[in-house]
Amino acid sequence: MAATASPVAPVPVKGGVAPLRAGQGYSFWLRRLHSLTGIVPVGAFLFEHILISNASAIGGPIAYARQVRFLASLPLVPILELFGIWLPILFHALYGFYIWYRGETNVGEYPWTGNWMYAAQRWTGGIAFAYILWHTWTMRFTGIDLHEFPGASFGKVQSEVFQTPLFLFYVVGLIAASWHFAYGIWLFCAKWGIVSGEQARKRFLILCLAFFFVLTGVGLASLTSFRSHALQPTDSAGASMVEAGPGTTN
Amino acid sequence: MANTKTVILKIKRQDNPNAKSHWEEFELAWHPGMNVISSMMEIARNPVTRDGKATTPITYDSNCLEEVCGSCAMLINGRARMACSALIDKLEQPIRLEPFTKFPVIRDLAVDRSVLFENLKTVKAWVPIDGTYDLGSGPRISPEEQEAAYPLSRCISCCCCMEACPQFNDDTGFVGAATISQVRLFNTHPTGAALKRERLAALIGDGGIQECGYAQNCVEVCPKDIPLTQSISEVGGEVIRQAVGDLFRK
Ligand code: HEM
Ligand code: SF4
Ligand code: SF4
Ligand code: FES
Repeated sequence: MAATASPVAPVPVKGGVAPLRAGQGYSFWLRRLHSLTGIVPVGAFLFEHILISNASAIGGPIAYARQVRFLASLPLVPILELFGIWLPILFHALYGFYIWYRGETNVGEYPWTGNWMYAAQRWTGGIAFAYILWHTWTMRFTGIDLHEFPGASFGKVQSEVFQTPLFLFYVVGLIAASWHFAYGIWLFCAKWGIVSGEQARKRFLILCLAFFFVLTGVGLASLTSFRSHALQPTDSAGASMVEAGPGTTN
Repeated sequence: MANTKTVILKIKRQDNPNAKSHWEEFELAWHPGMNVISSMMEIARNPVTRDGKATTPITYDSNCLEEVCGSCAMLINGRARMACSALIDKLEQPIRLEPFTKFPVIRDLAVDRSVLFENLKTVKAWVPIDGTYDLGSGPRISPEEQEAAYPLSRCISCCCCMEACPQFNDDTGFVGAATISQVRLFNTHPTGAALKRERLAALIGDGGIQECGYAQNCVEVCPKDIPLTQSISEVGGEVIRQAVGDLFRK
């Protein structure tokens, strides 16, 4: 054997990933809170938003106006909104970006389904975030106040949905949020030890996939119903006419 | 015919922990049944690069040569796996050999994987039977329990699951799948269960089980087919139950 290798003087090895810090920090609680907020209240909100409120648009402008009026009539709306959705989603999104930043996505080297889903959970979260920022800005914070004039809701959505690029943005946002939530349920149940077995997790994945199609399907049906109705008023006078009932729409 | 066929290896080399790495290319005569370790043994016999330059033999860890000791893990064509069971005929050429990227390089392909040892110590991955007197025979373990424990006990501490994990990196200091799975193994052992609470508590620290994002690369890459994601899920459930319970009881 050619013994050309001369022994190297031992150099103290340093660096590398730090070992477990038992008993230190509170990242466990933040991470589990992130996981939980994804389901309640953020996921629960998305469920209501797509499958109940938005789906009521399929019933036409009046049904939609009534649903918005009902939501606006809930007690303590500002507090409900602040603690039920704004703060939780802000936490989930910001901490989500932090989690994203700290992970090292490696689908190039390991192009397996689970790893793609890991990456997709980050990308869909990012897309949903961009969409939600825009959507709440135009629907909730600018233009006619829909809590005051629920009758203008249908028309206000139409004013965006009739523009094809914005319609496509709606579709992309819908698909991203639905995927993120549906796969998120699977993630949640895996992480909290609710669905742990290899086979059980596979079966449950099919269920979550089905839920994704339900969310997307109902969402698309609602979106197209905005496009299939005649343009509705977006001013306060027109809004009260819509709310007044039949005869004002087709 | 056969002796005209050759095998080309591109090996990432590094003289010491602080040196810069560089690539060297080797060309070997093909013969049946070659694997990555046997190829490097051939290089050691005649350490000459493909372009005829004399060099040193490759430094790497190996011992059993039958995928049971866990020492020969490295990146082969970009993926973490055991070199002794990596058959040349099943690899795309030129074959790229690199040291693990998330562990400090000692020299060439040998890396310092002591972080796993530290983590195993932190979670007390052993059955506590040391004492000053004879403890007698241990409790009986049913065949069902044995069957569940056996796959977990096959871990060879190769660290492939950690190298391939997107969450195992400098930012997170994540403990990695192997340690979590060992927690499950020793917690299910009737005598090992004496330390169950301490093991679960250790996993709540920074870098603990919460860092897993369920990319599932670990379970794909594990040479011993250990059901790692199931372990993470089940231990995850126990960890959250203990953590929440302690909020009320402690
Ligand atoms: C439409 C609103 C959203 C809903 C319903 C939602 C829901 C969920 C759910 C249920 C999970 C699974 C929980 C878990 O991983 O244990 C999850 C995970 C995640 N979410 Fe969201 N999310 C939303 C918005 C966002 C946004 C805007 C971001 C920002 C990028 C984000 C980033 C993440 C990340 C990174 C994970 C994975 C965490 C991990 O791997 O540990 N999410 N989300
Ligand atoms: S499931 Fe993914 S994130 Fe979790 S330990 Fe395995 S490779 Fe890492
Ligand atoms: S769990 Fe598998 S991949 Fe991880 S160290 Fe053990 S044998 Fe290696
Ligand atoms: S040499 Fe022991 S696992 Fe490869």
